[in-house]
Formats: sequence, C-alpha cells, structure tokens
Amino acid sequence: MANVAKKVSWSGRDRDDDEDGRAGETTPLLNGTGPGAAGSGRQLTPSSFLRIGQLSNVDLNEDICELETEVPRQRPNEIPHNEKLLSLKYESLDYDNSENQLFLEEERRINHAAFRTVEIKRWVICAMIGILTGLVACFIDIVVENLAGLKYRVVKDNIDKFTAKGGLSFSLLLWATLNASVVMVGSVIVAFIEPVAAGSGIPQIKCYLNGVKIPHVVRLKTLVIKVCGVILSVVGGLAVGKEGPMIHSGSVIAAGISQGRSTSLKRDFKIFEYFRRDTEKRDFVSAGAAAGVSAAFGAPVGGVLFSLEEGASFWNQFLTWRIFFASMISTFTLNSVLSVYHGNAWDLSSPGLINFGRFDSEKMGYTIQEIPIFIFMGVVGGILGALFNALNYWLTMFRIRYIHRPCLQVVEAMLVAAVTATVGFVMIYCSRDCQPIQGSSVAYPLQLFCADGEYNSMATAFFNTPEKSVVSLFHDPPGSYNPMTLGMFTLMYFFLACWTYGLTVSAGVFIPSLLIGAAWGRLFGISLSYLTKGSIWADPGKYALMGAAAQLGGIVRMTLSLTVIMMEATGNVTYGFPIMLVLMTAKIVGDYFVEGLYDMHIQLQSVPFLHWEAPVTSHSLTAREVMSTPVTCLRRIERVGTVVDILSDTSSNHNGFPVVESNPDTTQVAGLRGLILRSQLIVLLKHKVFVERANLNLVQRRLKLKDFRDAYPRFPPIQSIHVSQDERECMIDLSEFMNPSPYTVPQEASLPRVFKLFRALGLRHLVVVDNRNEVVGMVTRKDLARYRLGKEGLEELSLAQT
Amino acid sequence: PECRSLLAAFAEGSAALTGCLGRRARPVRLCQGCHGHYRRLLAQYGSIARANSSESHNCAKSILTSDRLQIVVTLSEFFNETWEAANCANCLKNNSEGLSNSTEEFLDLFNKSLTCFEHNLQGQATDLSPNNYTEVCKNCNETYTKLNDLYNHLQRMNRQGGESAHSAHLCIDVEDAMNITRKLWSRTFNCSLPCSDTVPVIAVSSFILFLPIVFYLSSFLHSKQKKRILILPKRIQSNANLVNIQEKYS
Repeated sequence: MANVAKKVSWSGRDRDDDEDGRAGETTPLLNGTGPGAAGSGRQLTPSSFLRIGQLSNVDLNEDICELETEVPRQRPNEIPHNEKLLSLKYESLDYDNSENQLFLEEERRINHAAFRTVEIKRWVICAMIGILTGLVACFIDIVVENLAGLKYRVVKDNIDKFTAKGGLSFSLLLWATLNASVVMVGSVIVAFIEPVAAGSGIPQIKCYLNGVKIPHVVRLKTLVIKVCGVILSVVGGLAVGKEGPMIHSGSVIAAGISQGRSTSLKRDFKIFEYFRRDTEKRDFVSAGAAAGVSAAFGAPVGGVLFSLEEGASFWNQFLTWRIFFASMISTFTLNSVLSVYHGNAWDLSSPGLINFGRFDSEKMGYTIQEIPIFIFMGVVGGILGALFNALNYWLTMFRIRYIHRPCLQVVEAMLVAAVTATVGFVMIYCSRDCQPIQGSSVAYPLQLFCADGEYNSMATAFFNTPEKSVVSLFHDPPGSYNPMTLGMFTLMYFFLACWTYGLTVSAGVFIPSLLIGAAWGRLFGISLSYLTKGSIWADPGKYALMGAAAQLGGIVRMTLSLTVIMMEATGNVTYGFPIMLVLMTAKIVGDYFVEGLYDMHIQLQSVPFLHWEAPVTSHSLTAREVMSTPVTCLRRIERVGTVVDILSDTSSNHNGFPVVESNPDTTQVAGLRGLILRSQLIVLLKHKVFVERANLNLVQRRLKLKDFRDAYPRFPPIQSIHVSQDERECMIDLSEFMNPSPYTVPQEASLPRVFKLFRALGLRHLVVVDNRNEVVGMVTRKDLARYRLGKEGLEELSLAQT
Repeated sequence: PECRSLLAAFAEGSAALTGCLGRRARPVRLCQGCHGHYRRLLAQYGSIARANSSESHNCAKSILTSDRLQIVVTLSEFFNETWEAANCANCLKNNSEGLSNSTEEFLDLFNKSLTCFEHNLQGQATDLSPNNYTEVCKNCNETYTKLNDLYNHLQRMNRQGGESAHSAHLCIDVEDAMNITRKLWSRTFNCSLPCSDTVPVIAVSSFILFLPIVFYLSSFLHSKQKKRILILPKRIQSNANLVNIQEKYS
C-alpha cells in the first residue's frame, strides 16, 4: 500500500495535479452492463476538485494507483503511429450556442428590423464569397497557364535543339531540375510556413464541417500558402490538379469574409460582428466549399450537393438557397473574368477551372446495350481505386512515421518532381507512336524522333498540364493514341499519382484520378472497338469519360455530388444515368476492400471524426461506459485561484466545465446548474470580473457579449493572463456567463442515442447526470469517436498525444 | 429577263469555280489557281443580292428566297465555306488579288527543293535500293532547312498576327506543299535521322530514379520513428470499483 500513501500525499500537496487522478485503463468493450453497473452509478460523486471523491477513488483501487503513478509519469507509453489513434490535438467547435444571460439580453434587444439586416448581411456575404472565390480561381488558372506555358516552351525548345545535335540527356536534366526547383519552392512554403495547407484540403474541410477544429485551417495565411503552393506544384509538373485546393480556398475565403477581420493581418473592419461564433461561421464555410467546387468544375449544383454530402449535418432550406447563390456567383465570376482574359468578353464559355468540353455529337450518345459495359467499367474503377487507396495508405503511414521532419518532406517532394519528369521523358523517348499534327490541337507538339510534321503522341499525355491531357483524352479523334501508349501511360501515371498524393505540397487528387481513368477508359474503348471489328458505337471518348468517372469514384467514393459534378462538367444531362451507375458500382466494389481516400486520411491523422451514425453494434454500450469521469466541475461562485489552477493545468486540457450549485461545506450533493467554456473563463479572468471588485464599486463596465466576440476565435492562453496573489483569493460569479441549459443525458442512455443527440446538434460537451441532476460524467467528441466498426466488430481507438 | 442573265452568269461562274477546284484538288493548288474564279463568283453573287433596289422585278427576292431549295444561296454558301476552310485568305494579298509575297517566296523555295530532289534522284535512279538516298539528303539539306524554317516562321507570324480568326492554319496550299515535302524528306528519303543518345539518357534517368530509393531507405534507417504518447482516458473502471465506491458512501 505504499503506493497509496504516496498518492495521497502527492495529491494533497498540489491541487493542480488533481486532474491526474483519473481512472486508468480503458473500459473493456462489450463488457456490457455488468451486475453492479445498473444501479450502482447513482452514488458516484461529482468529484473533481472535491477532494474526498478524488481520494476515495484513489484509495480504493490499487491497480489504478499504479497506473497513475507509474505509467503516465515515469514511463510514458509510447507506440508507433497507427490508424487506431485519436489525437488530442483536435478539439471540437462550439456549434451549440451558449445561451447565457448576456446572449439572451442581446437577442432581446435586437428588434425585428435588425434581424432583417442580419439576413441581408448574410446574402451580401455569400455574394462576396462567390465573387472572391471566383477571382482566386481565375488567378490560379491564369498564373498556372502562363507559367506552365513558359516552362513547356523552354523545355520544348531545348529538346528540339538537342534532338538534332544529340545530348538529350541535358534536356532531361533541364526538365527534371526545373520541375524539382519549382516544386521545392512550393514544398518549402507549405512545410515550413503552413503545414495544414498540404494536400487537397478536402479532408480538412470535411472535418471542419463535421465539427472538428483543425488548427489554422481557415486562416488567411493558409489561403495564401495554398494558392501559391497549388500554382507551384502544378507548374512543377507533379501529377496533381488544382481543383481540390479550390474547395479549401473557398472555405478560407468564406470564413475570413464572414468574420469581417483577419487576425493574421491584425485588421478588424468592424463589420459582421454578429457572425463571430462557430455556428454562423460554419454555415459560411459550407457556402465557401460549395463555391470552391463550383469554381473548380463549373458545377454550382454539384457544389451545393458536395457541401450537403460531405459536410453539413445541419441543413435548412434557406441555407441551401444561400449556398446555391454563392456557388452560382462564383462560377459566373470565374466565367466572365476568364472570358475577358481570353479575349472574347461576354462569351461565358469557361465556367470552371476544368472544362470537359462538349459531349453532344451523335456518336457520343449511348445505347442501352452499353450499360452492362459501363457497369463493368465501374467494377474496374472500384478495384483500381481500392488498389490506389491501399498503396497510398501504406505510403502515408510510412511518411507519418519516418518522414516527419520538414526538410525531409521537402526533399521527398523534390525527388517526386524529378522522377515525374524523368518518367515522362523516358516514356516519350521510348515511344514510337507518331501522329500527324493537325492544326493546333496539341499545345506543345514534341517531335523528337518522329518524322517532320508529326508529333509524339505520348508527349501529349505527359508533356502537358494534367487538365489539358484529360480533355485531349476525352476529345481527340479516334486513332490519336495507340493502345500501347495508353497502357504505359496509365500504368506509370497510376503509380506517380499514388506516390504524389500525401506529399507536403498543396495539390488535389481529382485531376490525376480523372486522367488515369480517362486513359484506361480510352484504352478500353479502343480495344472494344477492336474486338467488335470496328463497331460504330464504340467511340473511345465516351469510354474515356466513363473510365474517368469510375476511377474518381473508386478513389474518393463520393456519390451524389460527384455524379452531379461530372454531369455538369460535361454539360450533358443524358450522361447522368450511366455516370451514376458507374459511380455506384465503383463505390460498392471499392468499399468492399478499403474505404475512401479522404476518410482514410482523416483516420490516419487521428481526427475524432463523427460519421453519420453510431457503429451498428454499439447498442449495448451506455452513456456510463462511454463518458469520461470524474469531471472537473466549478461552483457557481468560485475562487479565482481555483479557476486559474484548473485552467493552467497542463495535463488536462479541458474546455467545458459543468457549473454546480455552490455550497462550499457539503461535498456531496451538487446539482448541475450550467456549463461554462474555457474561452469564457479566460475572458472573464482577463477582464477581472470578480465579485469583490464589483462590490468595491470599482470602475467597471459590465461585460458584454462583444467582449467574448472580440476574443474569438483565438482566445489567449491562460499563461498570458496575469492574476496576482491577492486576486487569487477573490471570488468569481459564473451564473451570468454560464450556459444555464446545457444538454444532458441520463447514464442509461445507449451509445447510439447519445451519438444522435451529439451529432445532430453539433455539441461539444454533453453532461451525463444521474436522476438527482448530479454530474456523473461528460461525453465529448473523442469519447464517441473512439468507437469504430473494424474488421472484427467494434473497435476502440486509444487517445494519444501528437 | 434581266434576272435570268444574272442567274446564267452565276451558273457559269460556279461551274468554272467547281471545275477549277476539282482539277486542283491534288496536289492542292486551290488558292493559287482558283482565286480569280472565286472573286468573280463573289461579285456575281453580290450583284444578284444587290439587284433589288432599282428593278421592279426584284431579282434578289425571286432568285434567292422564293423557293424552298434556294439553290443559289446554298451554292454560294458552299463555296464560301470551302474557301474559309482552306484558309486561302491567308496566302492572298489583302485585296485578294494574287498571292502575297511570303507565299510567293515559299512556293519558290518549294519548287526549288522539289527540283533539287528530282535532280539528285535521277542520278541515283540506276540503283533502287531504299537506303541510298544519302546523296539527296546531303545535297538538298540546305534548301529543305530553309523551306522548313520559312514555314515555321510563317506559322509563327500567323499565330501572332490574327488571334481571333482561323489563326492556327496557313492556307491549304502552303500546308500541303510542306506536308508533301516533309513526307518525302523524312519518310521516303529517311533523311532526318536524329542522333539517338540512348546511353546518357538511360544513365541520367536511372540515376534520378535511383535517388528516391536511397532517400526512402536512408530515412527508414536513420530517421527516428515518430512515437505517439498514449493518454489514458478517465473512465469508470470496473464494476468492482463502483461497488467499492458505493460501499464507501453508504
């Protein structure tokens, strides 16, 4: 029992460490409600800072005691990163409004007309989101076009020069060096300045809309890095697209505009202050994501559906309509600016960053006999997509474990860029597939070893930006590519794209997937017409489109929104049906093997992501087993010193504290009165809203909701707030600031029920109470997200510090 | 009466143009040979279309729009489209009288290189082995290169000049002439054999492809694996625990 004694003295010595008095091991799963569980929980005290509860917990359990004293202290339990972890880095967003007295007062003051102004402001913000997203898309498009054009011209001139004289290895070196250096810049800014801008940003936005606060994800700095990074990585010739990052960019723009200020620039425009809270911001972010999709693909409806499918669990008619407005404005802006740039103003012919071109000629139609063929393509797409994801999974795991230093990440990106150039060059070099030049359909015709007046058709696929390659695969007349070329291209590009995704550059996976799919789809179409002895209906362009849809569906596993996006991008409604079938099959087949790329990356980042439903076999779990306990509670009138100690306790990073009835002497019965957030406490401490000061009639302005809003979203850490020794003895009255009506559940509520409440309302804290309204435990996002349906039934993830 | 004469003139003009186009279809000499016919036909069509103002008969109406078939309109549209597609305006002077200077120059060079080919081939006509075109290649290289450069130059000029119209194409005569020459040059004569330097390319590329392997191996071996520190969550421990607590309080 030595341990116990030690524990007691330690616990008595320092109140700060009270938080460490936590129960040790995780609950064995599916243990169910054992014999004692059903009725016994009632007596459990709300025992956070109530010493006795704490000690009793300690006293009576030696196992826990050992765990406490030894495991977390001396020998931190380290394991290599794996996918079954939840990171402590991520917190929830406060989607639930804190309905404290201040809030209610303010809402009462606002009259009907003022609410109407707020509504109008929302529309104005949506319009601005659309316009700015469109402009950013234009900027990216124009810069990429010019820089990539410059690069390809330089390399082409060089190759042309050396083809005649010999010494093509110099051209190869030039190409590889150009690529690597451009990518190096792009990777350096991402790795050293803003790592969250890496990748396509879709997983991050998905998490944000799900309610997870990813640090830095909607900052202006991120936007700048993202835009520059995308430009550099596309110009650097990586197998990436610029469409995915548009979604992230749109979201950042939306979050920025709706707040009317930028903390990165330290500018506050004093507008839209009403929207400075998570609830409002989330609506605008979903509008921004939609605007991004619509600018990327020229698909406004697809954008709205993307927001609906990926993000918002909180949806209403007006919001949908506003989001649709934003995406329409965004695609229109892009369209008009680009048409002015291309010299045919008011023509409005380029609605998106990528334009699939028109599919309305006669031979592009499909007949009912082809539908089984399309479904078969869906199966192939699903299998290839699953293979892509599985390979990428291993690679990402390796990267997380071993390549975590920024310098290494930059080197890796450079290597990938150089190898991409080399592979492209070798493929072009070895290819003997020459096609006659027809007009100017090819942007950079490379002759190389072809006869004069012909170009290397491998070069159209590799020696071009991926967007252009996709379009040429869709639309080049039959016979522009020979099957060998396409096969090699598909194979190489598949591995390159797989290798590229997850690098520390900002880049999307949409276009590479489309490109892979278009290549094998076209190959499929060609071989089909070969098999059927040149039947009329086998136009390779059509199969290229279906292949692209299948591959993309197999990789990202989006359903409704992807169908609509593809439909809108082709501008052909009759393709809706086959595209839907293809995507459906691809998803079904792919889900049989592994999950979608985005979900996989979310999981690998250890994000506590809540899916639509609780895991199916979790009905046997109750709130009692799910919740964390004991809970750190505060009394309604609390000593400042206690608050400061609790907040500055580094080992427990709690964000919400139940407020209980304050009767200082009794330790047992303390009914729940409300819930207060860390951020609110910090604001209170900063403004020194203490009871004594109010009594002394010190000059004190009454704290308004505005003070909380001004601090949003970056509340200062507790360390920056100085509280003197005298002030520690003051009392603080929380009753005005706490949320007096927090959501609660009884202990017996089943996990699916808790989950539904939590997910549907977007909660951050859910207090578990017993039948006397005493706090028993607290359910947070991580408590729910750790249950997951694995291969062998329900699994539990463990928490980890990252 | 008067309309009939206009119509007859148009018919003859179109017949002449059709004949001209047909005769000059291969090798393509449309623009050089038929621009006169085309201009005349345009004028005739114009006069029909303009004939409505003064005459009481209103020829324009009766000829152009009084029946369903509207054969005159169709014909003239066909000719216009062909002319557009051939891009003839590109190698004619601005008032479309005669060929432009650059085109003349090009055709000159073209003829010169053709004669050069013929000349050199005649010398070799005795032995017909396909690989013995080296002489041609050697002797005509200069003219061919000049021709090629001129063509590329024209193409570039054209692309810069008119961005809006059919900017990408030169006129069909020039394009076709160039195509024939190029085909002769590189297919038949096999002259443009670029020196292939496979060895250095393979060396450089395998070097670059080798780098990632080194990188990944070294980072696997040397980089410290990132460890995560497990945090033990606070949970209700077990039922025994609860029972104990209960006992304590009761």
